[in-house]
Amino acid sequence: MEQLKLDYKTILSNYIHNQNERNLYIGQNFIKRLIQKNVTPEEVISIHKQALEDIIEDLPEYTIHAYDFLIEVMVHFGLKLKEHQSLLMKQEELRIEMEVAAKIQNTLLETTIPNPEGLDIGMISVPLRKMNGDYVHFMHDHKRFLSIAVTDVVGKGVPAALCMSMVKYGLDTLEYANSNPSYVLEVLNQLIEKSVDDGMFVSMCYGRYDLEKDIFTWSSAGHEPPLYYHSRENAYYDLESKELLLGILPDVKYSQKDIKLNDNDFIILMTDGVTDFRNREEFDPRQYIKELALSCRHLNAQEMCDNIHKQLQVLHNYKLEDDFTIVIIKK
Amino acid sequence: MAEKVTVEIVTELDIVTARKLGRKQAKQIGFNKVDQARITTAIGELAKNIFQYACEGKIIIERINKEGKKGVSITSIDQGPGIADVQKALEDGESYGAGLSSVKRLVDSMHIFSEEGKGTTVKVEKWLR
Amino acid sequence: MDINIQFREEGNLLLGLIEGEIDTFTAPILREELEKIELSNEISVELDLSKVSYMDSTGLGVFVAFYKRATKEDVNLKLVNLSTRLTRLFEITGLSELMDIERGGIGHASI
Repeated sequence: MEQLKLDYKTILSNYIHNQNERNLYIGQNFIKRLIQKNVTPEEVISIHKQALEDIIEDLPEYTIHAYDFLIEVMVHFGLKLKEHQSLLMKQEELRIEMEVAAKIQNTLLETTIPNPEGLDIGMISVPLRKMNGDYVHFMHDHKRFLSIAVTDVVGKGVPAALCMSMVKYGLDTLEYANSNPSYVLEVLNQLIEKSVDDGMFVSMCYGRYDLEKDIFTWSSAGHEPPLYYHSRENAYYDLESKELLLGILPDVKYSQKDIKLNDNDFIILMTDGVTDFRNREEFDPRQYIKELALSCRHLNAQEMCDNIHKQLQVLHNYKLEDDFTIVIIKK
Repeated sequence: MAEKVTVEIVTELDIVTARKLGRKQAKQIGFNKVDQARITTAIGELAKNIFQYACEGKIIIERINKEGKKGVSITSIDQGPGIADVQKALEDGESYGAGLSSVKRLVDSMHIFSEEGKGTTVKVEKWLR
Repeated sequence: MDINIQFREEGNLLLGLIEGEIDTFTAPILREELEKIELSNEISVELDLSKVSYMDSTGLGVFVAFYKRATKEDVNLKLVNLSTRLTRLFEITGLSELMDIERGGIGHASI
């Protein structure tokens, strides 16, 4: 340390007498040695002050006070800087943890879109943040029945994702492709109602498709109503139900309805992220989506989903505000 | 100056008093300007912690001697909410912990005793080199 | 994006006027405000939503939680002056069958 102080004095003295670039450059290189010796910023100021006192005789009292003040400020500054850096580090750790969690969720909630004969299925599900609060579950027994669950958990991010894992577990354990939709909702409701706190709930539209008779049997628990397009009539029907969200009351009974699908008919299942037209109040969201789907009904189901998503992104200036999920089944 | 002084921390003004007494003590022991500033800053942070999180407590500043070495110890004692998990508080750098982990940098050693609901005692030491 | 709630008492009736947009960011604030209300079975609560210009499902969660607490404490809770869009939100989620909801004439708010 003493050697450092002496060397600094020499370098400073040289610069005071001759302010050329070379002396400045030597000063900069000196930093390496300071860092090697773990010298803190406040110590540098102290070294500087001492050197100056040695070089200049009769250094004014106020200059010395000013340096003491600076030492004091630097100690505190260093302290606060450290706190700030440790917060940043914490933030980085959280980001990494979140990324890992998102990966696990993706693996956990991965769905394969079934490809049965005689029915065209498409799907898109885009989370707003890293973790998705929407979930689509398909089940196909490779025989007569195929089932689709479109789910939305209230809220976004981690809490929604945790709840979703439970829903997925519920679906996996109880469900067979041929189960009655109303029964599936009733059992899931029991499970969710017991496990989540007040103010948390799940909306779900559950449908079962009979590939032999082309009958879609559906049941909804507080979910955004699906759209059914009847090709021969060239008309849409809103598949409305006023049945309660999952997880609010125990022992809720659900009903189910049948639709017979004919050639070129299609059904759009979606989450409320699709119909959320905040700040776009001049549009009726469902009407807008109906028209969008109609304009691209010549495409296959997957292309229709992608197309609708793209058009809505444009409409909202690429600022969708919620998890976004669309499933289309097309005869 | 006495070997040991105690400052009750009740108002924000007491933080300044504690700093003043600490600096005086550090100067008399023979610490240089930089270490004086560090000791004073450490006292200030500990006192602020008491003021912000515990409302009431005290700071004890003592001269210490060991194996011919001279130093100063600062003890902060409060009856506040305490820290449930000291290690976590230091690692997470949350509230009380944020100040503590950086105070640690300014001194030679730090010991924390805390019990949830009963309060926290922090003792730091700094030796004359 | 702000939320504001003002209370006024009329005898045993506690009237709350909610103003603003209820989304992921403002819902926790509203939830906290509603949690502060001391409920006893002598009072009734009426929340006026006419000044709510936007609400998403997080907002719905706040009302569901408050409804559950009110039911537990045997307190009458009523939501009044809902816009067409808000009414629809309560309808498609099945909540209008459960909770006491009165729509208003104005249809300016969006869901």
